[in-house]
Amino acid sequence: MVHITGNFLAESPLSPKAREVLGDAIDQGWSEPGKLAHSGARARILRDEALTSIASNLGLRSEEIEVLGEPSLGHFFSIAGLLRPTDTLVHSNVDRKEVFAIARNHDKSEEVPVETSGRIKVATLKKHSQNEGVFALQVANGETGVIQDVEALVNEARNLRLACDFSSAGTRVPLPSRWDSAYFDAKSWQGPQGIGILAIRNGAAWKNPLPHIGHTRTPQSASLPLMIAAAVALEEWQEKENEAEPRLRSFSEELRREIAATIENCDIAGDIDQSLPHITSLSFLYVEGEELLRRLELAGFSVDSGSACTAEDLQPSHVLAAMELLTHGNIRITLHHDTTSLQVRELISAIKLAVTDLRAS
Amino acid sequence: MKELNCLGMRCPLPIIETAKGVRNITAGQSIRLLADDPATEIDLRAWARMTGNYVEVVGVNEFLVTKAKVD
Repeated sequence: MVHITGNFLAESPLSPKAREVLGDAIDQGWSEPGKLAHSGARARILRDEALTSIASNLGLRSEEIEVLGEPSLGHFFSIAGLLRPTDTLVHSNVDRKEVFAIARNHDKSEEVPVETSGRIKVATLKKHSQNEGVFALQVANGETGVIQDVEALVNEARNLRLACDFSSAGTRVPLPSRWDSAYFDAKSWQGPQGIGILAIRNGAAWKNPLPHIGHTRTPQSASLPLMIAAAVALEEWQEKENEAEPRLRSFSEELRREIAATIENCDIAGDIDQSLPHITSLSFLYVEGEELLRRLELAGFSVDSGSACTAEDLQPSHVLAAMELLTHGNIRITLHHDTTSLQVRELISAIKLAVTDLRAS
Repeated sequence: MKELNCLGMRCPLPIIETAKGVRNITAGQSIRLLADDPATEIDLRAWARMTGNYVEVVGVNEFLVTKAKVD
C-alpha cells in the first residue's frame, strides 16, 4: 500500500509551481504597491502582472476583479454589495453557511429548496423572480460537487441581480450569460489559502458594503506574494486542466461504480453527469463517519466528512439533509490533478475494507 | 408495542439499534423509537428508503418504525 496522505483531502495541496515562486515573491513583493519608493514601484508591477494574469485566465478584464485577503468575506462582498435594504435575497438550502448568515442579517430572504439530485428546481425560482432582489447562485456545491442548471436558473431569475459563487466550481464551470458579481477562491485551482477573487460585472449596481473612505471597492489587504502564487497556480492549473478533467471524471465514475456495485446500502450524492469531475460524497448505512475517517487515514487517505459526529456543532450536513441523503457514515473525496489511477483503486479497496470491518464490529 | 429508547445516543447508533429491533418483529409490526440525535429523522428516512421499511414522526424525538418486509 502506497501511503498518500493529503491527496484526497477536500482542501487541495498548493500547486508545485506556486510553491516554487512563493519564496521569490516574498523577497520581491514585500513592499506596499501604493508607495512611491522603488520597492513600491516593483511591487506595483508585480501586482499588476498578477492581476492581469488572473483576470485573463478567468475570462475577465483586470478592472473587473478585486483580490481579497479574507476569502470567506468574499461571499459577503459579492452578495451584500448588490443587496439594497428593500431587496429580497434568494438563495438555496444547500448554500454555504456564510450565505445563510447574510440572509439572517437581512430583512427579506427566501430559501429555494433543491431536489434529491441536489439541483434547484428551476420553476421554484419563478415566484421570487418578480421581486427586486439578489439571487445568490452557488454554481457548484463544494460538498457534493453537484453543478446547478446555471443557464436555466439565470433565465428564470429575470429581475434578480446575480451574485454567483464559483468558490468550489473555480474555472470548471463557465461564467453564465448574465451575472453581476462572481466570487472565486484560489484554493479551487490549487492556489494558496487566503486569496479570494471578486469579479464585478455590474459596477453600477455593486457598492462596497463595508464602511469605507474614498472609492476603494475592497480593503486591498491581500498579501502580494500570495496573490502572485495564486496567479502562477492558476496558470499551471489551466495548462493541466484540459488533459486532467476527463481523467478525473473517469476516476470518479470508477469510484462511484465500484462502490455502488460492491457495498450495499450506500448513498452517492448527485449524478456524475451533473457534478464536478473531482468531488464524490458517499454515505454508508450503519457506519460511524468519524471512525471511517480514522480507518482511511491509517490507510494513507485523508478525506473529509459531513457526518454530525465529525462536525464541531455535532449537526449533520445541511446539504446531505436537503438532498434527503443519509448523513452518517459520510465521506467526501476530492481528487486532484496529480491523483493516479492506482491511488483511486487503492482508495476503493480501503473504503471497502473499512466499511466491511466497521459494519461487522 | 415494543419501545426502543435511544435517547442520548449519537448517530448511527439509533439507526443500528432500530435495524436490530426490526429484525426481531414480524412484517406489519411497529416499534416506538425515542431518539434525540439531530440526525435521527433524516437518517431514519434514508434507512427506510434503503431497507423498504416505514418511518413516521409521531412526536418530539418520537418515531414509529414499521416493518414492511421480511428480511
